[in-house]
Amino acid sequence: MKKPKVAFFDFACCEGCQLQIANMGELLLDVLHLIEVVEFREVMSEKWDKDFDIAIVEGSITTEHAVERIKKLRERCKVLIAYGACATIGGINGMKNNFDLDKIRQTVYGKDYKYFATIKTQPLDAIVKVDYYINGCPVYIPEVVKVLKAALAGLPYAVPDYSVCVECKLAENVCMYEKGVTCMGPITRAGCNSWCINNGNLCYGCRGMVSNPNQNGAKDVMEKYHISVDAIKNKMDMYNTCRELKDEQKKR
Amino acid sequence: MQYALLKKDHLNDFISKLAQEQKVVAPVSRGFGQFSFEEVADASRIILKHIPTILPPKKYFMPQEETLLEYNLSEGQSMEAVVECQKMVLFGVHTCDLAGIQCLNIAFSERPKDFNYLIRKNKIAIVGLECNDYCDEYASCSLMDNHFPNGGYDLFFTDLGDFFIVHVNTQLGDELIEKTKVFERADKSHMDTLAKMREKKRGIFKNEVDIDHQELEPLFKKSQNSKVWDELNKRCVACANCTNVCPSCYCFDVTDELQLDLKHGKRYRRWDSCQNEGFAKVSGGESFREKRGERQKHRYYRKFLYPMAKFARFFCTGCGRCSRTCMAKINLKETIRSLITEKA
Repeated sequence: MKKPKVAFFDFACCEGCQLQIANMGELLLDVLHLIEVVEFREVMSEKWDKDFDIAIVEGSITTEHAVERIKKLRERCKVLIAYGACATIGGINGMKNNFDLDKIRQTVYGKDYKYFATIKTQPLDAIVKVDYYINGCPVYIPEVVKVLKAALAGLPYAVPDYSVCVECKLAENVCMYEKGVTCMGPITRAGCNSWCINNGNLCYGCRGMVSNPNQNGAKDVMEKYHISVDAIKNKMDMYNTCRELKDEQKKR
Repeated sequence: MQYALLKKDHLNDFISKLAQEQKVVAPVSRGFGQFSFEEVADASRIILKHIPTILPPKKYFMPQEETLLEYNLSEGQSMEAVVECQKMVLFGVHTCDLAGIQCLNIAFSERPKDFNYLIRKNKIAIVGLECNDYCDEYASCSLMDNHFPNGGYDLFFTDLGDFFIVHVNTQLGDELIEKTKVFERADKSHMDTLAKMREKKRGIFKNEVDIDHQELEPLFKKSQNSKVWDELNKRCVACANCTNVCPSCYCFDVTDELQLDLKHGKRYRRWDSCQNEGFAKVSGGESFREKRGERQKHRYYRKFLYPMAKFARFFCTGCGRCSRTCMAKINLKETIRSLITEKA
């Protein structure tokens, strides 16, 4: 079997999710038995200008230029994988959408801001068809491998549509709320095997919300543990502001 | 010997002698008032007085994730069944959790029998531990009639101050006694102390909800269209904590997964929950229980009505874990009280 050609690309992001691939260790050797990496800016200097099988794309879309670029990339690949929080849900870049775009540009670029065009932050699937989603900030390597295997075998991969609490309970962690810490686990999509909580950190909601969160019920949770609405909103906004953009699009 | 005596000073010998031969698991502290069953080498970390552990001992009978078979695609449909199991002693199981294990035994013995469960169960020796007093305000073991020992163990310990009275219930229990050689004969004065404690306990444990045990089934029968479920619909966040910590929930999902060579693979099962969004979803995207309230109702009915019809036994053990862990403060005793008030 000819190895499928795989290329990595990035848009607005920190490239940390791609770094996770470089950090895979020995597992990377097994992965490289299966695929041929033809372009990956972070680890190799070769470029590839022909078509390829799988595009693994990190980052969110924040300029008109990026819109055109992702559309062209989509035409060149058979399978497109949205890779990391920025690509799948907009991620941290989405915080920009809480502000007036001109004011944001002035803050970042000063008096010459008009030369730097910008648009609201969007995840990849707002522009192009996405075949597989690998959520997380950064991505969770066991899930990356799972999705890669699914993509190579031509099988679907469904991101779990239940909360991080499920995986956290299976890991039998002491609940963060019992420790007096506000955790985004109850409304955040699982799939990371409660990676952060297993290691003593709390959930920041980097994988995006479950498809059908109970906003009214979340109020009860806050009341039970004496948490203010603002505190929760700040935490939700860190990764999930683009969700509002999606809600708006649905209404239109 | 039906009853034996173990001096408290000898508990450490009992545990460490067993631990030299096989895995011993017992409740240990996890901080923040939480406990879990963990492997121990001696009795030093064991906490005798504990509220129900985060996960029930179910996790040893039906692990959170377990391989069912392994396959090799390069040889056609070649596959081999797998049972991952290990001999162990489970120490310190409260009567509520003993009842939970009994529920699982019944469910998994039904045809088609679940051999993974039944083979593993035969490798586990169970040592129960009596609660002389309530663990906390969430328990409803008295309502469910699980506050006194009712079988389902090999040995059963009752803490009576300086010593334990130990009920020897099976041959395996007898073997543990013989093997460790730390037990003594219990005489009449010890048995009197046990009887006195049990008498006192009858005064402490009172039906926690104002309803007769036998009235629970009819109550749920006539509550199919209750407004209480609408109320729970508003509150539940579908985190599924209630079912994942339940000692009698046994639903699982089965997945096939290939290794990176795309030839070898395994089929494994993992705990699933009726509270999860996708649980009752079918092709086409329809869900049989779309609303969280419907899912909550389903959970209650799987404890108080359906198993009565099928097994003549409640599948709620009264351990209180679902109420303790609920993110939205949904409390089992309050739910039953609301149903009673509504139907009154």
